[in-house]
Amino acid sequence: MRGTRRVARHRGAGRWNAGAHGNGPGWTSFLSLMPLLLIAGLALPSAADAQDVENGQRLYERWCAECHGAEGEGDGPAASRMLPRPRDFTEARYQIRTTASGNLPTTGDIMRAIEHGLPGTTMPGWPNLNRSQQRDLTAYLKSLSPFFERLGPPDSLSFESPPGGGEEALESGRQVYTKLECDRCHGSAGRGDGPSAPTLTDWRDQPVRAADLTQPWLFNGGSSVEEIHRRFLTGLDGTPMPTQADALNAGVVDSAQLWDLAYYVRSLAPERVPPPGRNVVRVERIADDEELPAGPGADAWDDVDRYWFPMAGQVLERPRQFEPMVDGVWVEGVHDGSEIALRVSWNDPSQSPDSAWMQWQRRVAGALYADGTPWPTDSLPDRLAVQFPTEIPEGRERPYFLMGSAQKPVYLWRWNSRDGIRESTATGLGTAGPLPESRLQGQATWSAGQWSVVFRRSLEGEGQRISLESGVAVPVAFYAWDGNNAETGKRAAVSSWYFVVLEVPTGNEVYVAPAAVVLLVAGFGVFMVRSARQGETGGGAGDDGSGA
Amino acid sequence: MRTTDLRGWIPTAVAAVTAAAFVACGGGGDQAGQEGGEGQQAAQQQGPVVPPDSQAFVRGAVQFEGTAPEAESIDMSQEQFCAARYEAPEPRTQHVVVNDGMLQNVFVYVSSGLERSFPTPQEAETLDQQACRYRPHVMGVQAGQPLAIMNSDSVLHNINATPSANRGFNVSQPQAGMTTTRKFAVEEVMIPVACDVHGWMNAYIGVLPHPFYDVSGQDGSVAMDGLPPGEYVIEAWHERYGVMSDTVTLAAGDTASVSFTYSADMAGAEVPLGDPIYPHDHGEESHAAPADAEVGNR
Amino acid sequence: MSGPERVREWVGHPFWATALVLVLAYAAIRFGIPHVPPLFGVASAPVPSSVVLQYMLSVFLALMLYVSANEERWERFREPIRVLLVEPDLGWLRVAVLVAAMAITGWLTYTNVRPSYGAPAALRSIHPAPPDQIQFEGETLRLSRLQNPLREEGDLQEHYERGAEIYAENCVPCHGDRLDGQGHFANAFNPAPLDLTSGGNLPQLSESFVFWRIAKGGPGLPPEGTPWNSAMPAWEGVLSQREIWSVIVYLYEQTGFTPRSTEGHGGGEAGSSGSAAEGTS
Repeated sequence: MRGTRRVARHRGAGRWNAGAHGNGPGWTSFLSLMPLLLIAGLALPSAADAQDVENGQRLYERWCAECHGAEGEGDGPAASRMLPRPRDFTEARYQIRTTASGNLPTTGDIMRAIEHGLPGTTMPGWPNLNRSQQRDLTAYLKSLSPFFERLGPPDSLSFESPPGGGEEALESGRQVYTKLECDRCHGSAGRGDGPSAPTLTDWRDQPVRAADLTQPWLFNGGSSVEEIHRRFLTGLDGTPMPTQADALNAGVVDSAQLWDLAYYVRSLAPERVPPPGRNVVRVERIADDEELPAGPGADAWDDVDRYWFPMAGQVLERPRQFEPMVDGVWVEGVHDGSEIALRVSWNDPSQSPDSAWMQWQRRVAGALYADGTPWPTDSLPDRLAVQFPTEIPEGRERPYFLMGSAQKPVYLWRWNSRDGIRESTATGLGTAGPLPESRLQGQATWSAGQWSVVFRRSLEGEGQRISLESGVAVPVAFYAWDGNNAETGKRAAVSSWYFVVLEVPTGNEVYVAPAAVVLLVAGFGVFMVRSARQGETGGGAGDDGSGA
Repeated sequence: MRTTDLRGWIPTAVAAVTAAAFVACGGGGDQAGQEGGEGQQAAQQQGPVVPPDSQAFVRGAVQFEGTAPEAESIDMSQEQFCAARYEAPEPRTQHVVVNDGMLQNVFVYVSSGLERSFPTPQEAETLDQQACRYRPHVMGVQAGQPLAIMNSDSVLHNINATPSANRGFNVSQPQAGMTTTRKFAVEEVMIPVACDVHGWMNAYIGVLPHPFYDVSGQDGSVAMDGLPPGEYVIEAWHERYGVMSDTVTLAAGDTASVSFTYSADMAGAEVPLGDPIYPHDHGEESHAAPADAEVGNR
Repeated sequence: MSGPERVREWVGHPFWATALVLVLAYAAIRFGIPHVPPLFGVASAPVPSSVVLQYMLSVFLALMLYVSANEERWERFREPIRVLLVEPDLGWLRVAVLVAAMAITGWLTYTNVRPSYGAPAALRSIHPAPPDQIQFEGETLRLSRLQNPLREEGDLQEHYERGAEIYAENCVPCHGDRLDGQGHFANAFNPAPLDLTSGGNLPQLSESFVFWRIAKGGPGLPPEGTPWNSAMPAWEGVLSQREIWSVIVYLYEQTGFTPRSTEGHGGGEAGSSGSAAEGTS
């Protein structure tokens, strides 16, 4: 436990505008000092600076204060619902810099953070502010801490350009990953599930996640190899991520190896953010002589297309979940004409209920449940739900996406790490009840920070169990709970409605029509040429009708 | 005509004077911070050491009343290297260590009364990481004095120092034998230091502009030697029970004794850490200058 | 013959001119309509493919009428076609054109008959017609007569600040700090959260309409607004009327838009026309 910081602070009427100061020197001394003063006056752009700061303050109050607080202390009205918390500018502790650990950021560093935001946090980019506004804002932010004045502008570290990567670099990088013990926090597969991950706190004693290196779109400082490499040299001040500069200087690794590590870290993730708009899971029809995969580890899954569905905290109904652990699921499906197998995989660093993660659960609850709602102290399982309507909708109307309603219930495939798989229905959030005699089968595995659950059921349903038909788009939605992230009941990650479509066995009939059309066109072409020729040779009179 | 011209210039001149003064005192003077206190050091080294015949001494004891909370055992199973270094009894937390009624790990220091500066030692104070513990758990260092942090373990440690008045750092030491040397530029009581890899590892460092501090040992005793005669406030800081203070008046050759008595009832006391500094702390006058200059330019 | 002359002769030829006009028309419909008006600050959208087909058909028919209206033009128009069909030297081109036509029609037919796995089309009215009145915690509010009471009382700056606070606490995850509907949760919801900075939204709506949307949220939408998809919560029961009005003050102040006024003050008939005018936009 760290102690509390001293609370006594001097607060004037406001920063920078403390009003007229004491009695100035007399007239005569001014006249004698005049030449010197004029030179000094020209050399110091303080008037312009003050103007910048004032403009910056206005922008700050309009756009930033709700999170970062009226005084810049990171305690605005929205702050208590955010993890990590908004930055406290009075501390001048900046995460994303081009300077050495512990140093101030450069003006450019702050402006970059304003322009692009910090992905993976609640800080958006502000491209709607123009450069000069961003500059004014930066001037104001710097005015909030005396460090900028005291220490003057910091020096950027020099960064080499990336050497190029390649297979060898990746192999070397993998070894450096182990040598520098990155896995202690980030885990063996990079999913932020290392043994030290549950105890990580930022400098404010708030829980902070070891970055999931397989989701680079959430990297606070950007996901290019260069940006990753920079983080090694600068560290992420205020978080547990240290600088590797001292290890480099001590010769534990050399600079080429640090680049290899950057390439390796980047290689843990897909090239691009999973594209939005792929909102239909195409459930592949397997060949008649193949069998549906029984478990999540089956080889049959290797060739199946994966679909990514982003998820958000359930913030519609109370209690709300503002910082869910799961931010999306990967979904794959196959069917054989009578049965469907759906594999849902998602990253979750804890295999809840996991006693090592209980202190994480306590911290998260303490950080986010400050509104007085009771928080779960017992150990909670991880859970997942796949939601369908109870029947394929006739028109476009379907049940309310958030677990349906009394008029239109939903049908659920549920799994939890304690009790396994069952079928349920629900008529609203928090009302799910099991159906008797579950026909749903499945298996789940957790490995290196990832859950994979396979659900299997016959296509034919009964009663409130939906019947799945090939070639028909069936609405589907997903829910995930991380027990050790204090998620239970309505505190969940949720998705919108998407669709699953079962592939229709493609018979030969799909080729009949195109073949017929091709023949028709060929025949018509030949006829045209013939008649045109006849018209040509048959003389002028028949000319008119021939071409048509 | 001439006067009007001059009037136009006056506010600018005021601005220039104050701005120049600000650069000299604030802007430039503290530059040392980033450089680890070099500037300050040079100034301080000129002060002569207290002559032996006018030195005074402080002896103290930190007692503890009531039942001390039992130290919790630390589960090091996630780091086999360290777990293997402890035999039964397993390692326990060091937050409250009481032996025969005496409280260990209390930082005792002269908090006011010293009216002169003292030389900054060039030899480093050492903070060791050994068997996944910081040794020592509480320590002091002079502003600008090198602090050598070494890793005696064959596992990764990171040293995450989070001061308020000083700049922090967070350094990784993935190999045994690595030493990282850093300095803290200005006075700060106390700076928390932690290892994020091993959540149980923490230490506190007190930074002072003078050498008159000590940390209570197993027997709860502290000693500060070679003080110049004067009247001093002695403060004691404990990570769980907070701050106590006492006043002593010392003549040349005196040995004064101080005594602090913490009690179990003080659990939950507010424990101050480094005092954050705010723009208003150092001179509003200099800040007023830019605002004035703006008016003058209109 | 020089280059420019040759170009002029080609363009003057009815057949090539027709081809050129068709290409230009297609470009204008397909790319011009969605992309040009935004350059002048007017909102636009891509033309659906069925409509593109309709437009192109009209253009084609008009061109045919024009070309065939004059005998000589018609003859010249047909000339290249005739050459292609009969010219002995152009046998290779005849075969190539025929094969290309077969391939294109065959492929188009195939893409039409093969099973498709797209999402069903989902048309949605973004701002559907509001009901005449709503119940807010048991109180009946006639939307057509509803005015923002905070505009008439107290300090607007205070209302703005209160609204800003409520917005930050509740709306930011979806609608975002910039109010542009790009909060950090936005990508998980479909339809995406409304972009409050778009000229097509707040300035086109009266404050009473916005009040209705905030109070009743997604579940309160009529079917044309696809209430089952909307992730907008109903804030009735969570926020008081006053709090909702202060958020509305904040939304308009922060974006710099002025609300659309309900036509006329008082008078039932003016009110009802007002609500009709707010209908599907």
